[in-house]
Amino acid sequence: MSDVLELRGVGKTFAGIPALRDIHLAVGASELVALIGPSGSGKSTLLRCCNRLTEPDAGDVVFEGEPVPAGGAELASVRRRMGMVFQAFNLYPHLNALENAALAPRRAAGLSQGEAETAAREALERVGLGDRTSAMPDELSGGQQQRVAIARALALRPRILLLDEPTSALDPELVGSVLRVIRSLREDGVAMLIATHEIAFAREAADRIAFLADGEILECGPPAEVLDRPRTERLQSFLSRL
Amino acid sequence: MSEFFQTFLNPGVMAESSGLLLRGLWVTLQACLIVVPGGLLFGAGLALAQTLAPAWGARSLSWGVDLIRAFPPLVLLVLIVHGLPFLGIEPPPLLGVGIALTINTSTYYGEILRAGILSIEPTQWEAARSTGLGTMATLRHVILPQGVRNVLPDLAGNTLEAVKLTSLASVVALPDLLRMARVAQGVHFNPSPLILAALLYLALLWPLVRLIRRLGGRAVLPA
Repeated sequence: MSDVLELRGVGKTFAGIPALRDIHLAVGASELVALIGPSGSGKSTLLRCCNRLTEPDAGDVVFEGEPVPAGGAELASVRRRMGMVFQAFNLYPHLNALENAALAPRRAAGLSQGEAETAAREALERVGLGDRTSAMPDELSGGQQQRVAIARALALRPRILLLDEPTSALDPELVGSVLRVIRSLREDGVAMLIATHEIAFAREAADRIAFLADGEILECGPPAEVLDRPRTERLQSFLSRL
Repeated sequence: MSEFFQTFLNPGVMAESSGLLLRGLWVTLQACLIVVPGGLLFGAGLALAQTLAPAWGARSLSWGVDLIRAFPPLVLLVLIVHGLPFLGIEPPPLLGVGIALTINTSTYYGEILRAGILSIEPTQWEAARSTGLGTMATLRHVILPQGVRNVLPDLAGNTLEAVKLTSLASVVALPDLLRMARVAQGVHFNPSPLILAALLYLALLWPLVRLIRRLGGRAVLPA
């Protein structure tokens, strides 16, 4: 199985404090890798280094066999094929659901307005919001907003989705709807790298789980191995406090 | 009381000077049609340049903007209308006034628009970038539509000031509304034309003032 995304020795320091240290991690085609770890362990920074929203100081990020370009149209093209979903949704509040999802296909990928709207509509149907295309973000529940954000990423037909704690900002009763969408994407073979605090979800849906602490991957492997037979003290205490 | 009425609200004088004042109103309108769109256009240019320029460029631009804002618009007007001819450039008076007041008001429009751009959270930029949108597309489709909406009351307020600013043109002999009112005042030895001019300004600006009030009542900042 060829890797869609691979991090080779990625490091990042913020004001002298290391946020990521020598990260090696690969995500294969249609693989779901979950990042778990305490808040501040570097999960978000790791995801943001993948599409260079945060510029890594060390190492390489390789996407589909090529290093992610430093900037310009080449980086924009890679970002289109690496969908990102944020904890706080970050929808465009002045655009309705369809316009949110159609903007990048139209203005970044250069599709015609009709093609962009078709792609956006399909993506919204895929997240179960085909009937809410004309709703404004503030007319939608948090769970629905996050599903629009997922559709916004999907409308570009990405090779991988980077999801940064997609359910952490949601009321408990809304978490299920978003996780259901992520599970169905997994069944469709969309590769995903997801930072999450939903350990039960990670156990059941992830192919592999990576445990981050203080900017380092301390353990990485299949859920049963990582969650049931933790080798490090850090992971043992992290799991015991859940 | 009737003496006051005869002095300031003399109907005969007002009627006789109304033709003159309407001609002045037309000149004022023409000046506004240069200064308001011109100020918005150059102001948008200033705001975008300061947003996109590297730090040193943005800093020098903001110095320039501050200098112009601290410079009395009346002096700027006199310098341009009476100074340019010394350089061999002799624009028609209306254009000279238009240039001077556009320079002045564009700095205010620029700062308002820059505030609008800065009012949008960085996460909106990140969301757009993560989908491969470039800087210009992000500004046009994500940042400006929200940012401009956030500062609409301020833009309308500055437009109000810009319209009133055109009355400075009377100093350089442009036959605008205020100038014509002063002429009529001289002809009739009576200040009623000034009151009539004020009423015409009021008629011109009242809809704008009400619009600002309505815009101000509706908070549009995202939660």
